[in-house]
Amino acid sequence: MFSLNPQTRKKLQRFRKIKRGYYSFLLLAGLGVLLAFGELLINSRALIVSYQGQLYFPTYSDFHPGTDFGLDYAYETNYRELQVHFRQQDEGNWVLLPLVPYNPYENHAPGGIFRPLPPNAAEQHYLGTDTTSRDILARLFYGTRIALVFALLFTACVYVIGITIGCAMGYFGGVFDLILQRIIEIWSNVPFLYMVIIIFSVIPSSVAVTTRIGILLLVMVLFSWTGMTYYMRTETYKEKSRDYIASARVIGASNARIIFRHIMPNVLSTLVTFMPFTIVAAISAITALDFLGFGLPAPTPSLGELLKQGTANLRTAPWIVISAFGTLVALLTLVTFIGEAIRESFDPRTFSVYR
Amino acid sequence: MKKPLSTLFLASLILLLGGCGQAENDGAGEATSAAAETATAAGVDAEVEAYYAANPDFFGFKTPADLPPDLEWTSNEHLPEIGSPEARKGGTQYGALQDFPRTLRTVGPDSNGGFRPFLLDDVGMTLAHVHPETLELYPGLAESWAVDWENQTVYTRLDPAATWSDGEPITADDYLFMFWFYRSPYIMAPWYNNFYSTKYTNITRYDDHTISISMAERKPDMDELGVLLRPVPRHFYRQMDDDFSERYQWEFEPTPGPYIVRDQDIRKGRSIALTRLENWWARDKKHWRYRFNPDRIQLSIIRDAAKMFEAFKRGDIDQFGLGLAEYWYEKLPDSDPDVQAGYIHKTVFHNQRPRPPFGLWINTAQPLLDNRDIRVGIAHATNWDMVIENFFRGDNERLDTANDGFGEFSHPTLKAREFDIARAQEHFARAGFNRRGADGILVNEAGQKLSFNLSTGYETMRDVLTILRQEAAKAGLDLRLEVLDGTVGWKQVQEKQHEISFLAFGRFLEKYPRFWEHYHSDNAWDRAFLEDGSVNPERQPKTQTNNLEAFALLEMDQLIERYRASSEREEMIALSHQMIALHHDHASFIPGFYQGFFRVGHWRWVRYPEGFSYKHSDGPGELFVHWIDSEMKEETLAARRSGKTFEPSITVYDQWAE
Repeated sequence: MFSLNPQTRKKLQRFRKIKRGYYSFLLLAGLGVLLAFGELLINSRALIVSYQGQLYFPTYSDFHPGTDFGLDYAYETNYRELQVHFRQQDEGNWVLLPLVPYNPYENHAPGGIFRPLPPNAAEQHYLGTDTTSRDILARLFYGTRIALVFALLFTACVYVIGITIGCAMGYFGGVFDLILQRIIEIWSNVPFLYMVIIIFSVIPSSVAVTTRIGILLLVMVLFSWTGMTYYMRTETYKEKSRDYIASARVIGASNARIIFRHIMPNVLSTLVTFMPFTIVAAISAITALDFLGFGLPAPTPSLGELLKQGTANLRTAPWIVISAFGTLVALLTLVTFIGEAIRESFDPRTFSVYR
Repeated sequence: MKKPLSTLFLASLILLLGGCGQAENDGAGEATSAAAETATAAGVDAEVEAYYAANPDFFGFKTPADLPPDLEWTSNEHLPEIGSPEARKGGTQYGALQDFPRTLRTVGPDSNGGFRPFLLDDVGMTLAHVHPETLELYPGLAESWAVDWENQTVYTRLDPAATWSDGEPITADDYLFMFWFYRSPYIMAPWYNNFYSTKYTNITRYDDHTISISMAERKPDMDELGVLLRPVPRHFYRQMDDDFSERYQWEFEPTPGPYIVRDQDIRKGRSIALTRLENWWARDKKHWRYRFNPDRIQLSIIRDAAKMFEAFKRGDIDQFGLGLAEYWYEKLPDSDPDVQAGYIHKTVFHNQRPRPPFGLWINTAQPLLDNRDIRVGIAHATNWDMVIENFFRGDNERLDTANDGFGEFSHPTLKAREFDIARAQEHFARAGFNRRGADGILVNEAGQKLSFNLSTGYETMRDVLTILRQEAAKAGLDLRLEVLDGTVGWKQVQEKQHEISFLAFGRFLEKYPRFWEHYHSDNAWDRAFLEDGSVNPERQPKTQTNNLEAFALLEMDQLIERYRASSEREEMIALSHQMIALHHDHASFIPGFYQGFFRVGHWRWVRYPEGFSYKHSDGPGELFVHWIDSEMKEETLAARRSGKTFEPSITVYDQWAE
């Protein structure tokens, strides 16, 4: 059903013509690729270590204790120090570090004191450090990645639930619709923020960080799917009364076939149009939750946490809030531009009077 | 009433959870209180009298002729006076609170918030007070007192001039009523109920202004126990029943102290103000006359610490605590224009007090953590020196035991375990963790990771935990951080749900440390040991106690009981050292750091006496020795507009530095 029929191809062409949206899309796609291979760009682990004639690629491998490279400690090698060490030794060993040789969790305080450091190219802290001397660029980068992945997962989940229930309600109508609609009305009035706070206060602390992120996602989805059902329900209602559905039914098509083969492709434009805005909403929500302290568990890098730090140190460390705010604005603007372009290119009114 | 507060503070935090919704209820509460007033005008009187009659051993009524003849009355007149004769009355002090007080009650649910020092702890009066310089007693509501160590009794002559803020005289009856009040179930304060029932054995009224109070134990601080008592105004609490907490929620209790809260100054959720009593009864008394100088103390509600600091920088707030290095060095550095222009003064004051034990409290009831080798390993894997150097910038000191700062009672030689990766690994290996996994964290034969939850309720200390986590990973120990809201964090440790918790208990000016609360098996498990002294296999953790380490050693129990029963100072000191050493050996607490000073930034119109504060004081405002110089304030504000500058003042008072 998602195959490129001529109409869809036309829509895509229109999308390409809307330059602002199209370039935003290219930019974001490029960023997506960068983020996917982020470990090669921003990481405290070296890309390549050449030690005694042998090459090591620590980025995606198990950790290498310092003893692997002739150092005297058993914990993870500090590759920045290793690089300096090798240079001093001058025995032909070398280390190739990523562009930004810091990971988002480590405290790297050049002066020995944990405090925000202004952007400093010599130390390779291109956007400075935060209050505990963690590299802001690394935290922004991985924070953005987590926010985007989170937003995509969120959108996917909300769509699956929202579409299924919304379509069913619109298609079957009657008592089913009536009852479910009331349930949705009640459900959507449960205050979301309180639920997040309550749920996180009862989750046992031994739960791993990734699980906690999963739970946060689940809670957000649970309280956000209702919005999608309204649109799907009305769209399905509208399509259902059209003649082609009646003909399909006359031929003897099953409900599932009618919904998925006939109705869905016709409401696709609604779905696609809403998608970027759902993503925007998800990114804003997770950032806001982090800002309030109810979002991703510490020390996960996040935009909201950086914003919070930034506002608390507005006077002494303006670079924190500038980077975080700038990233957030850029990200949301890109997605919004794409969204607008999609909406415009998928809007039937511009090339058809059929309504 | 300072002694029990450390425990009380924590106990009432829990109550905070239970009573959040009551603030909205005040209108209805007043209505019912008015109605009840007519109905039960004499009700509680009868109940109180009946209680006195039913407990004749506790409540004695005698005549002045019954006083022992050979009492040595004292009022410690030799003590140096507190405050400065230069202090001038007047002006308004501006401050801020992070939360609007949940109640004006000083006891019962929600009463132990950040506003209570302004109602009671710092401005209230007891019979006598502990001198912040010498730790001797100086008179408050008492004119003089006599201690009969033999019979564990303190006799007190009340100052006949003393009155409540509503003009009623303070008499012996208010002290008898105090015992009834604090023992009453209506106040919903089990800690008070217990304290006033078990620590005291008798109060006797000789006449309107003479009483004696007998203590259950002859401890070195028995005399303090007998005089650090705050009367309760019997004429105010006419109706006492199960509605106590609602009825008195927003009623300001008459105080013997200098400040009152007037109804028109309570702006719910926004601000609250204290007003000085112009003709306060103690205004010419020694130790009191140069203190409590501002006419008005205006407290706004500013929920965010960063905003509070901005308000201070604008001059909306007179002073701001600069305890955190971030504030002292970054947000208000010595080079700050306002500091350099002499508008804002920065002051450090080194004090001597029992130190709050900031450190890691390990719940030994949790799997793996019940293994001493693991605990010792963790102690060697936590890099407190780095925390102190990098986060506190070397201003704080390493804490050596959980009971530092108690003078002779503290252990003289014990040192905290140092950060040492090799030794940490050695101990972990002994516990079976001898291999590093793919992520560098140690694993045992069963493939179990050496990973624990490290939680805290202090959001400002988040970075401390981050450092500990980073460093611990070097030793192959994974610490999962959990930064909780203050109340939630406290609830977690009270439910004994924590694995390792970073926190400290407030410490008040006590003569000797307490051990029962933290280390007695009664507070760790229900029936920790069987009759024969072996561990009870079916024991269950006991919640809602302050034994956060699930510390249960038969030997410790016996030492604690001897310590509690002992009245010999030397013996108690020896026992204290023994217990501290035993606790250290058990390694269930990893000492962190302490701050041997307090520091503050204040606008130059906030004036302090020479020497700034006192040896054992807790903070700049605690003793109310400062005063607001209104002329200087005008001068400063004008100077700020015109650009005129003054001599900068960055002062370190280290006369009491340890």
